[in-house]
Amino acid sequence: MSGAIIRLGLLVAMLAGIAQVQVWRQGEGTSVMLAAGALLLCGLFAGKVAKGVGLPRLTGYLLVGVVVGPYALGFIPFDGVKGLELLKGLAVSLIALVAGTELHLGLIRRVGTQVALLCAAVCGVTFGVCFAAIFALKPVLPFLAPMTLPQALAVSALISTVVVSFSPTVTIAIVQETSARGSFTEFLMALVIIGDLFVMVAFALAAGLTRASFGGGLDVQGLLSGVVWELFGSVVVGALLAVAMLVYMRRVNRELPLFLVGLCFAAAEGGAWLHLSPLLVSLSAGAIIANLDEREGQRIHHAIQLAGLPVFALFFAAAGAGLKLATLVTVGPAALLLVAVRAVAIHQSCRRFAPPEDPRLRRFLWMGLISQAGVTFGLAALISRTFPGFGPQVEVLIVAMITTHELVGPVLTRRALERSGEVRGDERPQTA
Amino acid sequence: MQALLVFLAIAALSVLASSRTLLDPSRLPGVAQLAASGLLFLIFGAILGPGLAGVLTLEDVQGLRPVVALGLGTAGVILGLNLDPRLVRLLPRPVISAALAHAGVAFLFVAVPLAVALLLTTGLPLPAAVGGAALLGAAASLSSGHFAVLGYRSGRMERARGLAVALLTMLDDGVGLMVLALALVLGAAASPAEGVGLVSLALLLGMVCGALIAFLTYSLKDPAELTAVMLGGVALVSGAAAYLRVSALLAGVACGATLALVGGRAVEQVSRALGRFERPTYLILVFLAGCYVQARDVDAWVLLPGYVALRFLGKVLGGSLARRFASSALELPARLGYALIAQGGLAVCLVVQYLLLVPGALSQHIFDVVALGAVFNEMLASRAFRQVLEPPRAATEGAT
Repeated sequence: MSGAIIRLGLLVAMLAGIAQVQVWRQGEGTSVMLAAGALLLCGLFAGKVAKGVGLPRLTGYLLVGVVVGPYALGFIPFDGVKGLELLKGLAVSLIALVAGTELHLGLIRRVGTQVALLCAAVCGVTFGVCFAAIFALKPVLPFLAPMTLPQALAVSALISTVVVSFSPTVTIAIVQETSARGSFTEFLMALVIIGDLFVMVAFALAAGLTRASFGGGLDVQGLLSGVVWELFGSVVVGALLAVAMLVYMRRVNRELPLFLVGLCFAAAEGGAWLHLSPLLVSLSAGAIIANLDEREGQRIHHAIQLAGLPVFALFFAAAGAGLKLATLVTVGPAALLLVAVRAVAIHQSCRRFAPPEDPRLRRFLWMGLISQAGVTFGLAALISRTFPGFGPQVEVLIVAMITTHELVGPVLTRRALERSGEVRGDERPQTA
Repeated sequence: MQALLVFLAIAALSVLASSRTLLDPSRLPGVAQLAASGLLFLIFGAILGPGLAGVLTLEDVQGLRPVVALGLGTAGVILGLNLDPRLVRLLPRPVISAALAHAGVAFLFVAVPLAVALLLTTGLPLPAAVGGAALLGAAASLSSGHFAVLGYRSGRMERARGLAVALLTMLDDGVGLMVLALALVLGAAASPAEGVGLVSLALLLGMVCGALIAFLTYSLKDPAELTAVMLGGVALVSGAAAYLRVSALLAGVACGATLALVGGRAVEQVSRALGRFERPTYLILVFLAGCYVQARDVDAWVLLPGYVALRFLGKVLGGSLARRFASSALELPARLGYALIAQGGLAVCLVVQYLLLVPGALSQHIFDVVALGAVFNEMLASRAFRQVLEPPRAATEGAT
């Protein structure tokens, strides 16, 4: 581990030197590629250091991003981190594709109903508790205080739907890292994925209600068609992608990792452009392939493990660099209260509603549901854009929560998997 | 959206460029040649770019500058790895003299007449005209050895001769890079002293990054980790150069050469890891370079025939001079100059780098001439190279 620390130290010193030279140069060039290279290298070696001290590699990626990013040491300029937005979609797509290859029909038949019921219970309880807490905070939250009762109720519901969301990205990355296999892992992965679908639907409805409460009118048909398009359109596009992948793998079958990276990039960008969910597109593509041809599903899994290391390290380091630590100071107390309330709600609902056949689910599952990352960021940004009156302040509050969850969540997820006894080792450096 | 557009364009072109119909020389020889060399991507870039169809706008192209920097940095690192200073020092002096001869003659044949032409027709001040012509000469001095490599691999040329031509074309890269450095010293800053500082900064940055990559890869054994570190290192050197507004190409060359010098056993693995990304990166770079072409640049079209013709003459004469110098050390084909007509991608890299760092009308003219010239030279080269190939019987005898 000392070698990794020395290498990380040298990298940070190099970045400090570049930042110093930039001050002398006066006026800067484009910083996107610097951010990409620096965060990738720092992430890789910080991951090794984190692993050396018993933390998930992912925590190392995130922490080093925070340290060298624009909101701490400032070695990586803000524009550089912002320019890496494209990578987020790619990483989410790749991760979702791998997750999809795990979704076999047998698994869905076996635990699908249980997962859906538990997910509904956890999301419902967490939503209810967070909704009550946010509404109770109305007098002290500056953006909520001047609103009328219906407006405050609608906005509280909107924020609660976002606060409920989980992070399939982090969960799947940690599962990959630890090579965890077993019924607990399957249950956890299925739950965070289905939870995301719940959140997507609930968010669309809450956004419609909020718009109506501010006098924008309630377009029920538009609302429903939007949700239907996002869900079913994503599955249809995912099926088309699956066909394209199978054709490529059977006819061309060269440079599969490179092809998958290109296809996932196109899926992420095209999906966002078509108002589809990139996560769902890739997830359904992976699931369809795995169920049509299990061998090809395994090949995709293996190919993404090869291509995934740089993408995941860069994605999570960039996510860390984008965390605004200052928000913790400004809206810290409210955010920390919500973090605590959410954690307690998830913990209690898991203890109460998880299937009794497997005691591990009641004891450890909640730890795997704490993380929040890409989806939550995306929804917070959407609130900011859609409701410019109060949205930016809501975004700050949610980002403060995500900051806490990103730092704590991966550690808890790993601990849940370790305690479930399904971790198979952490020897493969290809994983996140 | 712009990224998706570029990605889809490149993906479609990649499919097109790997089409068997297109690559069949018996059907469309010129197009097949351009597709194989990758310069077809330059043409498509020029067509889709803001200079012609405008599918990609100027803002799109500006937004993709980090990708261009990455392409230049990657090209530089690969060049630097090939130009290992220890190996270059081991080469016999006649070989170095031969490389300098063919590159130098082509440089002089292009730079001197075009300096006069630029001075008389554009009204530019003397230093600017001389600088622009020198850059044209530097681009003209570069040759690509891909015809020779293909020739000996297909058995149409003796292996020793093919490798000797490839060696000479590799060494001329140094001439082009030195002239680029000189042009940047004179053009990229307010004063030559500052220009020297900026070029030195690029080289220093490259050397530090090269040493750092060598250290980072020292104990890595896993190929995936090694590839990731190499990609990160190349992005770091390219990105830092772009951020500090110095040459990513020169920084990359310094990085690659340092890595070759101090990298030890890891160098071969690093080269192999980088080699997997060489072709895609090159094609993307050439496509994006094509987007910078202003096809309606009349001045460039006027200069183009002179540039191509003078370069051809310079290479033919320079080739015969080089053959005389290196006859004791290398087995070279009789009409060496005809094997040196292909220009390859480095010439485009040189001028796109200059255009990015010293934007302006003159840089744009130079870029347009060299980019369009590379396409014409490639088409000319496929015919010229036939003069170099032995009749089938001779080649067979040579092989046995």
